[in-house]
Amino acid sequence: MARNLLLGTPATTTPTLTTTRSQAATGLASASLDTRLRQKRSPAYLQAMAKLDAGGHVHDRQALESLLAQIDQELGTIEIQERLLGIVGRCYLGHPYEVHTLDLGGRITEHFKKGHPLPLTLERARVLATHPSYAFIEVYATRMVAVSESGQTAIIEGTA
Amino acid sequence: MSTQRIIHMADLSAINSSLRTLGRDLDSLNAQVDAVQHDVGATRSELARLEKAFMDFVAADVKAKELSLAETRQVKIRQELETRFGHYGEVRRQTTGILQAADISLVRQDTIRAASENLMLAAPGYWLAPALVALAAWLNDHKDLAERALAEAIRRDDEKTSLLFALVSRRAGRLAASQQWMDRYLGMQNPVELDRQTVVLIDAIAAGVFGVETALTCVARTSDWIEELSQRAGFIESQRSQWIDALRSKTPHGDDSARYPHLQQYSPTWPALQASLNATATHGAVAQHFQAVFSGEVRATAGLAADVDALLTKLVSHFDVEELPLRRDEELCRLIIEENGDRAAATSRFQLQDPALEHRISFTQLLTNAAMHPETSHASRATQRFATAQSRAWILEAHHDLTASIRLAVPTQVQLHLDGWEGSTTDGGNQADLEAALGQHIDGRLAEALASVKLGIHHWLVMGLGILLMLLALGNIVGMVIAAVMLLWVYMAYRNLDKQRTKVRADFAALREQSQQALKACVAEVVEVRRDLAARDAQSASVTALLESITPDQFTLGGHDNTRRILAATA
Repeated sequence: MARNLLLGTPATTTPTLTTTRSQAATGLASASLDTRLRQKRSPAYLQAMAKLDAGGHVHDRQALESLLAQIDQELGTIEIQERLLGIVGRCYLGHPYEVHTLDLGGRITEHFKKGHPLPLTLERARVLATHPSYAFIEVYATRMVAVSESGQTAIIEGTA
Repeated sequence: MSTQRIIHMADLSAINSSLRTLGRDLDSLNAQVDAVQHDVGATRSELARLEKAFMDFVAADVKAKELSLAETRQVKIRQELETRFGHYGEVRRQTTGILQAADISLVRQDTIRAASENLMLAAPGYWLAPALVALAAWLNDHKDLAERALAEAIRRDDEKTSLLFALVSRRAGRLAASQQWMDRYLGMQNPVELDRQTVVLIDAIAAGVFGVETALTCVARTSDWIEELSQRAGFIESQRSQWIDALRSKTPHGDDSARYPHLQQYSPTWPALQASLNATATHGAVAQHFQAVFSGEVRATAGLAADVDALLTKLVSHFDVEELPLRRDEELCRLIIEENGDRAAATSRFQLQDPALEHRISFTQLLTNAAMHPETSHASRATQRFATAQSRAWILEAHHDLTASIRLAVPTQVQLHLDGWEGSTTDGGNQADLEAALGQHIDGRLAEALASVKLGIHHWLVMGLGILLMLLALGNIVGMVIAAVMLLWVYMAYRNLDKQRTKVRADFAALREQSQQALKACVAEVVEVRRDLAARDAQSASVTALLESITPDQFTLGGHDNTRRILAATA
């Protein structure tokens, strides 16, 4: 009785069980720019950025070059494709210093006191850079990436 | 000699007396002018208070009207739903009625057949009516009628009919048939444009209604859908904005002006601070939402038949396309009522959760709706957990992004405007500087006010004329008297200046006290608002921790076939 009724058209496709969950659930299989930008930053990169605060890079060209090489290694082509303008981090030199910047345009490191304006392109990152949850902020042409101490990233779209 | 005599005889006491009276009158006039000035000041502040009260009243009145309108409209919409689709209700009720009647064999087969055929006449064009005729015919073993009715039901709505019979077959314990119907249903689905009722399928999987094989097939298919969607261009961006919107829909529209009255009154930054307070409160609301989703029993089952009946009722009751515009209006009214008549807040919430009432949605949007808006997507708690687990990585990413953008929007400087003085503070740390600056400002204004308390040009003119007249009218008593009156008037005005200065000093002392108190209160509120913002912001960590703590164990579901399966692990 039921069988007669239930002779529906067979399914046009058969589901497969080959998909792995990690790919499906996270949806991160597609290697888009956004995904790469969002990737967790490596401990080596975070450590290199932490050294920026020691202040040596302001005068030591070699230390700066090594840091830039580390950035190249970490971000690869994103740096060029997304136009990385600079990096802004919280300064631990103490009062009155508030933030330090690595301006990739001029390839210089600077420490800024409270109230002193940052270069125009990096000023927008100041608020987030001073937030205790973030280690530093990567400033790109059209977005910012806030990186936490654990390397976790958050993307903020726009230039405002 | 004669002139001296006349002078000697002249009696100036009356003039002196008149001048004294005039002086007193001038004093009294001055006092009256001061009183009027004071009254004008009081009236002005009263007027400002009245204006605020009036604006508050207007806002409250608008809200009350919106609330009442929404309540009336909600009733009307429900009436319209009843009028236009009420006859569907009877058909819907009979779906489970027929199945339950057949379970206990209390109703004669003829009655069931007749009832279902009557429904066919009563609800023309409705997909469920022929489906019920098919069901009744199946129960009565009328193959020909059942096939014809089924063909009609499939013609009217293939997807819903397939899902209905997949559930009915499962209820009857015909697993192979159920699997076949399910295959048919799944085969018709496009993950980019799913019908909303697919949530019933997820409910069924999450509730453990299907057998292990069918459940695994469905879960594997959903994984395929996600894989297919993730290959599409712009998928990650759309996921991100979709989830940010879903999280934002939990943002409360609170009013904290009662807690921070001075900032509301003296700070132009207050609206931005209020927006940040609400935005940061999103973390708490989201944490609460997910805690509610992951606490308590996953399912309180009353047996397979009851579970399937509940799903069938849900399937036939909530997902008819023609009702959707009215359901959408009804939802907006519900939100306006929930927001106490605040239409703007309700509209923004409605826009953020509108995808939950779209007819066709992508599978990931369906998961978002199920996880975040169970009331409009009709998802069970088990489904909410399943959807949240499936979307965990996206939710975390969206939450990180949202948190960063909320933090970025928090005003760093709080501007303060007090009686023409402007200052700003970050966290109240510069209170002493602000007080000094405000003191200087008031000192400056006091100096200006004191400088303005002086004899006017008219006084100097009258004095000059008086002296001139005195010199010219030597010997002329009338001229001299007039000159004396003029000079006396100037003298009285000069004598009054000291009183005015004393009053100005007293006024400014009161103003200084008042302004400094207001400034102290503002700074205290800035400190408090920063603490409040930090506390609300800290809640973001609990959302992250909660989502990161989700483990497959939390999705261990007991089915009706005495097997256990872990959906998240197998998915």
